Amino acid sequence: MKPSVIEMIYSQHDEIIRQWKNEVTELNQFDSTLPTNWFHETNEEFVNLIMGTLELEENEAKEQFRSFAERLMNAGWPLSYFTKGMQLFRRVLVQMLTSDESFESEKVFETLNEVEKWVDGVINQLVDEYTGSWENTLHLQKLALKELSAPLIPVFEKISVMPLVGTIDTERAKLIMENLLEGIIEHRSQVVLIDITGVPVVDTMVAHHIIQASEAVRLVGAECILVGIRPEIAQTIINLGIDLRKFPTKSTLRKGIETGLELTQRKIISTS
Amino acid sequence: MRIPILKLKNYLLISVQVDLDDQTALQFQEDLLNKIHQEGSFGVVIDLTSVEMIDSFIAKVLGDVVEMSNLMGAKVVLTGIQPGVAITLIDMGIVLDEVPTALDLEQGLDKLQQELEA
Repeated sequence: MKPSVIEMIYSQHDEIIRQWKNEVTELNQFDSTLPTNWFHETNEEFVNLIMGTLELEENEAKEQFRSFAERLMNAGWPLSYFTKGMQLFRRVLVQMLTSDESFESEKVFETLNEVEKWVDGVINQLVDEYTGSWENTLHLQKLALKELSAPLIPVFEKISVMPLVGTIDTERAKLIMENLLEGIIEHRSQVVLIDITGVPVVDTMVAHHIIQASEAVRLVGAECILVGIRPEIAQTIINLGIDLRKFPTKSTLRKGIETGLELTQRKIISTS
Repeated sequence: MRIPILKLKNYLLISVQVDLDDQTALQFQEDLLNKIHQEGSFGVVIDLTSVEMIDSFIAKVLGDVVEMSNLMGAKVVLTGIQPGVAITLIDMGIVLDEVPTALDLEQGLDKLQQELEA
């Protein structure tokens, strides 16, 4: 920012801060969960930060805003607080410039231009900062979900189990299918049991994914048994008219494993 | 290009080592049927472990070959279909319903034996 503009702002320092604080107090209405004194403290800090960074180098100013935003972000402050705060700061400046007739109009324009540029720069940076953090969170959560998603567990020679927990969407279904097929090759399984005990809802879409997975499993040379079908799921499947007759289904994993052993010509016997 | 067809006792073994194009696939269909006729084989294992891609035409030819061989009294098992290939086939809606499959050559031979005994 140009020194002349900074000087102009500093000359009205106290007045700007007073007006800004007045206006910003109204902001507290959008988030009443924030304690009042904390809100005032943060306002104080924010406006001092704005004032303090006016004459700093761009990079240095950005760094200061970054650390401030990061701190508040972690405390759960909304992004709108920052954007509105910056917009208010601009509005206060504009009001001040236009109401004071001692300024020449040319100088007012120049100043406004400078202020506009500066405020927009800061807002953009804050928005970037916030979206970056959101994307990061989203990425981590996706990763966590992926890790939880679909392990294939070898339980006997030639028999593996894939327990599914939670809702299945298209993306997850894809992942399930990939894990399933690669796991089959890796463990050399002939029978895989897909356990849907932990799947809360089985609608046509979920059923479609399961059918596709089981067909793919057959193509790579193994067999699929669907286990963990609860009474309500059996009812929905039939009521929706879904045809699951192409592959065996069982109510519990235990029965499924018995069938799996049978398919591979084995059985569990008691040693006594 | 021709795909080699190996005879092992009563069986025929085919390991497809290249991605099939239409011409090769049709040539293979002809060769295999001739070979079955010539050797009087009971079973055929077609191993697709090194095949990275199967399009709808090749899938149809493979399905046809299986049915044709069945007509001539030879059971066919497809083995070693890769996960990626399986996913593509399913996405295209090709399920190869009537075709027996196995994980690898060894299990394919076991499966043939079971089917022939049954």
